Amino acid sequence: MSSYTPSSSAGGVGSADSAAPRRNSKRPKYSKFTQQELPACKPILTPRWVISAFMLVSIVFIPIGVVSLLASRDVVEIIDRYETECVPQNFRNNRVSFIQSDANKTCTRRLTVTKHMKQPIYVYYQLDNFYQNHRRYVKSRSDSQLRDNSSWNDVSSCKPEDDSNGLPIVPCGLIAWSLFNDTYNFSLNNQQLAVNKREISWKSDRDHKFGNDVLPRNFQNGTLKGGKSLDPTVPLSQQEDLIVWMRTAALPTFRKLYGKIERDLQPNEVIHVTLENNYNTYSFNGKKKLVLSTTSWLGGKNDFLGIAYLTIGGLCFFLALSFTVVYLVKPRRLGDPSYLSWNRNPGGH
Amino acid sequence: MLSIFAETKGCLYMQITRLVKSVVSRTTLAIGDGANDVGMLQEADIGVGISGVEGMRAVMASDFAIAQFRFLERLLLVHGHWCYRRISMMICYFFYKNITFGFTLFWFEAYTSFSGQPAYNDWYMSSYNVFFTSLPVIALGVFDHDVSARLCMKYPLLYQEGVQNLLFNWVLILGWMFNGLLSSIIIYLLTANSITGQAFRKDGQVADYSILGVTMYTCVVWTVNCQMALSINYFTWIQHLFIWGSIALWYIFLVVYGSIPSTLSTTAYKVLVEACAPSILYWLTTLLVISALLPLLSYRAFQIRFRPMEHDRIQIQRRRSESLERDVAQSRLSESSETRNSSDLPAEVRIRIDSLKASSRRKNS
Repeated sequence: MSSYTPSSSAGGVGSADSAAPRRNSKRPKYSKFTQQELPACKPILTPRWVISAFMLVSIVFIPIGVVSLLASRDVVEIIDRYETECVPQNFRNNRVSFIQSDANKTCTRRLTVTKHMKQPIYVYYQLDNFYQNHRRYVKSRSDSQLRDNSSWNDVSSCKPEDDSNGLPIVPCGLIAWSLFNDTYNFSLNNQQLAVNKREISWKSDRDHKFGNDVLPRNFQNGTLKGGKSLDPTVPLSQQEDLIVWMRTAALPTFRKLYGKIERDLQPNEVIHVTLENNYNTYSFNGKKKLVLSTTSWLGGKNDFLGIAYLTIGGLCFFLALSFTVVYLVKPRRLGDPSYLSWNRNPGGH
Repeated sequence: MLSIFAETKGCLYMQITRLVKSVVSRTTLAIGDGANDVGMLQEADIGVGISGVEGMRAVMASDFAIAQFRFLERLLLVHGHWCYRRISMMICYFFYKNITFGFTLFWFEAYTSFSGQPAYNDWYMSSYNVFFTSLPVIALGVFDHDVSARLCMKYPLLYQEGVQNLLFNWVLILGWMFNGLLSSIIIYLLTANSITGQAFRKDGQVADYSILGVTMYTCVVWTVNCQMALSINYFTWIQHLFIWGSIALWYIFLVVYGSIPSTLSTTAYKVLVEACAPSILYWLTTLLVISALLPLLSYRAFQIRFRPMEHDRIQIQRRRSESLERDVAQSRLSESSETRNSSDLPAEVRIRIDSLKASSRRKNS
């Protein structure tokens, strides 16, 4: 292909023939927008920008990572897995039949406090391998019934837990039916540790999603009880355990808030937990754990965020250094027009 | 290959065009201004009609209409080059943003035992392509330039980028798709591992399904729009408004949608205002998606340094020659009127002038 000399005219589209009289000109009205000549900034990834961008990211991320990691290390957490040990020895081979029987399910556990725990200390129960995010499970509820007493009949979306013995269940659905029913009682030095079970759910749920005129009716009345029974005199907006449970969890391993302990715990104190091991997780090999945790400004104990920030900050720092080395060792005059491919091969392609 | 015909019958034009198309099997462009050109204009892949003395019939049968024959140069070199770049980038980016979004849903499914539960509320999913990621694509597809019109005309061989299909080949397409996959993996892993499990706020509350959905979606919207900001080279107020406005629109949408009664907003009821906004962890997790932008940034930095494309080189040269002109003007102002010869210019400026002179000599020879 022969070399091409650019034409000297830089005529813009719409520039009229200069010989024609102005009043007959069909030239469209000029505007910066239609001619695509708006004031613009045209950033280029020069070496300075690249290195500055990477350095900025690492300078911002590494301190955040350190701070997050420190916050997570400040949180004190006691986790106790109890579903296997709370089954008596003679039933260990047949745990499902144990949990479905009428045997005594009380179990005592001992928790030792390792570090000073400032109040409020949050008590959670943690379940593993429980898919609260399964599609059929999530659908199996009736929001209108939960909110409003007049819709007590609206159970169509709740199959198979919509009615029993011909009457609709309030609250209907699989989520409510499978309400967690283990209970925990804490004592320290033979004194009862009070657990505050109020305001453990979201305020918007209590005020707007669960009606204060809706009472449980015909609940857990069938042949198979899935979980806890509800007091039929207490309206749903005050049944905080139900409200917490009905906020379906995101992943198969999840924690839900059980209550708050509102006093400090000192190191080496031993807490005795009397728990009722009622909930059947044995049919699906689920795990049950009791968790006591403090919180920091960031939340609970999770090193992941801090480590992620440090890793990415470190990676950016490494990239900034390597780009600096590359630019210094092999400086290439970018913008040298002799590098344009048609200038390098004047003979053609 | 260029063929010129004159004073021939219209049907012959059409047959010649058909013959050329079948023999050469490349994209053909036909330009004409009269009624006898209509057949040829329609037969060719691209028909350019000239409106003028012979009437508007050619214009009505054409794909592009210009007023004078000499505007063809600008049509091809400026608009053709720009449109090629815009369309190729838009298609690649469109695949990228939908792959990023779709694969986060897929990774979440793995943790719901593949039951089909979507990670996001229905309304979020429907409005993804309509509200939160559509305007930046329009800004890319309609307004983006890589090189200004003046430089497109000055370096006409830049048009070869389109002819050689350098911006829309399988390597680039698969590269963008891979970038989408990578972004979705990073977003999912970072969000799922930071927010879930432990309490995500100081008051001990735990993140449930709706909060994970909101956090992941926020990260997706930020990542996808910031990738757009990294890919385009031309920022007017329109691009800024569309890109940052789309991100802001997502937060506004959350607030508005979250405040309509929970009969309609179901899982999104007050999710930003009550649950997410007071949680520092939510904001820090959003900031962490800068890591999803690092692959593209590193790749572009590497590419510009080691294997720059023609338009990259021209952009950098333009930047340097602009600063050179500024230096020359500056030195002229600071020098007195007697000492006007070039030997008194700063050494670096002298070197730059010499290299530009040499390159223009080379071009003209």
